[in-house]
Amino acid sequence: FCFLHGIDAVEDLVGSLASMSNKERIKAMQRMPETMRKKREIRNKVLKEITKKSRHRGAQCTQCLQGAAVSFRRFGNTLSEHFHQLRPWHKTLKIIGAEFGTSVLSYFVFLKWLLNFNIFSFLINFGFITIPQFLAAEPNNLSFMGLELLTGAGYFQQTVLYYGSYTNATISKVENGASYNMQLAYIFTVGTYFVICFLILLFSMARLFSRNFVNLQALSVNTSKLLCTWDFNITNEKAVKLQQKNLLTQIKESLTELNKEVQNFSVMERVVRIATHLIAWVASLATAVAACAGVYFLSINNLKLFMKGYSNDLQRQSAMLVLPVIVSLLNTLIPFFFSWLGHLENFQTPGQHIYVTIIRNIILKISIVGILCYYWLNIVATSESQCWETLVGQDIYRLVLVDFIFCLLGSFFGEFLRRIIGTTVCVSLGLPEFDIGRNVLDLIYAQTLTWIGILFSPLLPGIQMIAFLIVFFVKKVSLMRNCQPPCKVWRTAQMMTSFIFLLFCPSFLGVLSVTGVTVWRLKPSEECGPFRGLPSMYAAVAEWIQMLESYTAWKWVVWIYHNLISSELFFFIISTFVLVVTYLYWQIIQARRTMTKLLHNQIIN
Amino acid sequence: MGNKQTIFTQEQLDAYQDCTFFTRKEILRLFHRYRDLAPQLVPLDYTDKPAVTLPYELIGSMPELKDNPFRQRIAEVFSEHGDGNMTLDDFLDMFSVLSEMAPRDLKAYYAFKIYDFNNDDYICKSDLEKTVNKLTRNELTPEEISLVCEKVIYEADVDNDGKLSLADFQHMIVRAPDFL
Repeated sequence: FCFLHGIDAVEDLVGSLASMSNKERIKAMQRMPETMRKKREIRNKVLKEITKKSRHRGAQCTQCLQGAAVSFRRFGNTLSEHFHQLRPWHKTLKIIGAEFGTSVLSYFVFLKWLLNFNIFSFLINFGFITIPQFLAAEPNNLSFMGLELLTGAGYFQQTVLYYGSYTNATISKVENGASYNMQLAYIFTVGTYFVICFLILLFSMARLFSRNFVNLQALSVNTSKLLCTWDFNITNEKAVKLQQKNLLTQIKESLTELNKEVQNFSVMERVVRIATHLIAWVASLATAVAACAGVYFLSINNLKLFMKGYSNDLQRQSAMLVLPVIVSLLNTLIPFFFSWLGHLENFQTPGQHIYVTIIRNIILKISIVGILCYYWLNIVATSESQCWETLVGQDIYRLVLVDFIFCLLGSFFGEFLRRIIGTTVCVSLGLPEFDIGRNVLDLIYAQTLTWIGILFSPLLPGIQMIAFLIVFFVKKVSLMRNCQPPCKVWRTAQMMTSFIFLLFCPSFLGVLSVTGVTVWRLKPSEECGPFRGLPSMYAAVAEWIQMLESYTAWKWVVWIYHNLISSELFFFIISTFVLVVTYLYWQIIQARRTMTKLLHNQIIN
Repeated sequence: MGNKQTIFTQEQLDAYQDCTFFTRKEILRLFHRYRDLAPQLVPLDYTDKPAVTLPYELIGSMPELKDNPFRQRIAEVFSEHGDGNMTLDDFLDMFSVLSEMAPRDLKAYYAFKIYDFNNDDYICKSDLEKTVNKLTRNELTPEEISLVCEKVIYEADVDNDGKLSLADFQHMIVRAPDFL
C-alpha cells in the first residue's frame, strides 16, 4: 500500500496511475485505502494529467475521443449491471449467509456449483446426441404406465433416455448432403465433457489450495488464529451471540491447554486407547465390507430373477426397486452407527471426531459405488441380456431417483420432525443444526452416480439437475424454518477445499476409470446402441482414423493419433518430464522456506 | 442509459463507480438507504455536494450493523473526523470495503485500523484486550484476557517490539484463510 506522506508521493502516484490502462487504473483506485474525498482529488488530478498527455501527443480531437471513451465505458458498466442481475439465487444466498454463517452457506454454494456441471452436461448431450437422434428415431411400441417414472423401465426403455435406443447409423437428411456420424458424436461428446470437467476441477482445486493452504502450520491451533475466524457476514442477533459463545469456549479450551501440564498417559492407558481405536476401525471397515457383500449378492440375485422372468409385470417392476432402496437405507443408517462408534472412542479434540467420522462415511460410500461398478462391468456386461448398457442405465436411474427421495425424507425426519420433538416433547434437545458434512457427502455421492451414468443414459444429468433444484429449495426452506445456526466452529475455507478435493479424487477419478474401462475393454451389445457390432466403443475412433488416412488434407490428424495418442513412448516421455518438473518445484519450495526463516531471524534481531 | 435520475450528476456517478466497487444501481440503492435513516436531513439533490452528516446513533441502528460488536469502531474508522458521524462519501466508502468484492488485503488494512482502539498505528496489549472483550461479550476474567493477549502477541509479533504493526497483522491474516 502507498501511504500518502508528502506531496511527492502524491505526484508519483498520479504519474503512475496516468500511465496505466483504463481498467488497471480503475482497479488500482478501487483498492486504494484512502477516503473517498482523497480518492476523488487523485482521480481528478489523474484525469487532468491524461488530457495533458494526449494534448502533448498532438491528437486532433482529444475532447471527442475522450468523450467517446467515457460513454463507451458507461455503456459497458450498464451491460455488466444487467448481467449481474441475472445471477440466480444471489439474494437467497446472501440471506442464508447472514442468518447462519459462512459454513452453512458453503453447502449451498457447493450445490449451486454442482448444478452448473449438470446443466452443462445436459445441454451438450441434448444438443449433440439427442436432437440428431430425434431425426432418426424409430417409433416406440411400448405403452406408458405411471410406474415408469420410478423404475425407468417399460416405456422409457426405447426412448432417448438410454443408450440402447440410439442409432449407429450415419444420419443424413439430404441426399449427398452433410452427414452426422452418431458413433463419433456420442464418444466425442462424452469425452469432451469429461475433459472439460477435469480441467475445471483441477483449476478450482489449485486455486483453493494456493489460497487456503499457504502455510501447512495452519493445522495447529493458534490463539491469534481465533481472532481471525470472526465471521463478519452474520447479521442475525442470535447467530452473533452463538459465535461469541463459541469463541469464548475455544479461548477457554486453549487457555486450559496452556495451563495444564502435558498429560502423561500411563502405558496401560495408552494401550487401552490404541486398542479402542483399532477395534472401532475394524468394526467400521467390517461394516462397510458386509454392506458391500450384501449389495453384491442382492444384485446378482436380482439379475438372475430378471433374466428368468416374472409371473406378472407389477412384481417385476417392484422387484427392480429393492436394490436401490436397500443401498439408500445402508447409506442412511450406517453413518449413525459410525458416529455412535465415534462417541465411544475418546478423541482428544472434537475436530478429530468429525474428520474420522467423515473418512469412515467416505469409505462406506466409495466401496458401495465401487462394488456396484464391479457388478455392472463384470456381471451385467457379460450376461446374455439383449442390451446390457440400457440395463445399467436403468439401474443408475433408479439409484439416483431413490437417493433423491431419501434425501428429501432425510430432511423431513432429520430437521422438521426433530424440531417438533425438540420444541414440544423434549425441550432440552433444542432446535436441530444443519449437518453440513453429511449433506455435502450426499451431494458428492449423487454427483458420482450421475457422472457414471452419463455414458449409459445421456439425459441423466437433466434429471439430476431437476433433482438438485428441488433439493436446493427444500433444504433452504427446511433450514430457515427448522434449524439454528451451528454451534461448532467449522474452518470453512479448509472444509471447502477438502470437499472439492473429495469430489475430484475418489469421485471424479473413479468415474474416469470406470468410463475408461467401459470404452476400451467392454464389448458393446450386438443389437442396440450406437456401437452395436463393434469389438469395443473405442473401435469407432480407430475406424474413423483408418477412414481418414485416405484423405491427404487430414494427414496431420492421423499423424497425431498414431504418434501421440496411441503411442506408449510419448506417454513415457511426458511422465518423465512431469516428474522432473515436480521435483524441481519441490526443491524450490524448500529453498524458499529456508529463505523465509532466515529473513524472519533477521527481522527479530 | 437506464432511467434518468436527478440525485447525482453523471460525473459524480462516474467518480463513485471508479472509486468504489459498486455499480450505478447499487450506489443509488445505497443513497436511498442513507436517506431512509434521516429523510429530513438528507436532500434528494446531491448535485451541489451538500455537506450533510448523519450522527453515529442512526448509522449504528442499521440492521446490517446493529448486532456487530465492532459497529462503533467501524463507524469511527470510516468517518471523516473519527467521531462516528458519517457523510454520504464515508457511508459509501464503508460499505465498499465491507462488501464481498473488496480484496482481502484491503479488508485486512481496515480491520487493523478497527482493532487499533487508540489510533496509534499499532495494536498494543490494551487494544487486544478490548478486542477480545468485544468478541466474547465480557465473559472472560481479566487474568484470562491478559493471558490470551500475551499469547497472541507472542505468536504474531514478527519484529519483536511487543505490539503488532500493520505488517505483523497482515502476516497473521495471510496464514488464516477463514478471515472474511
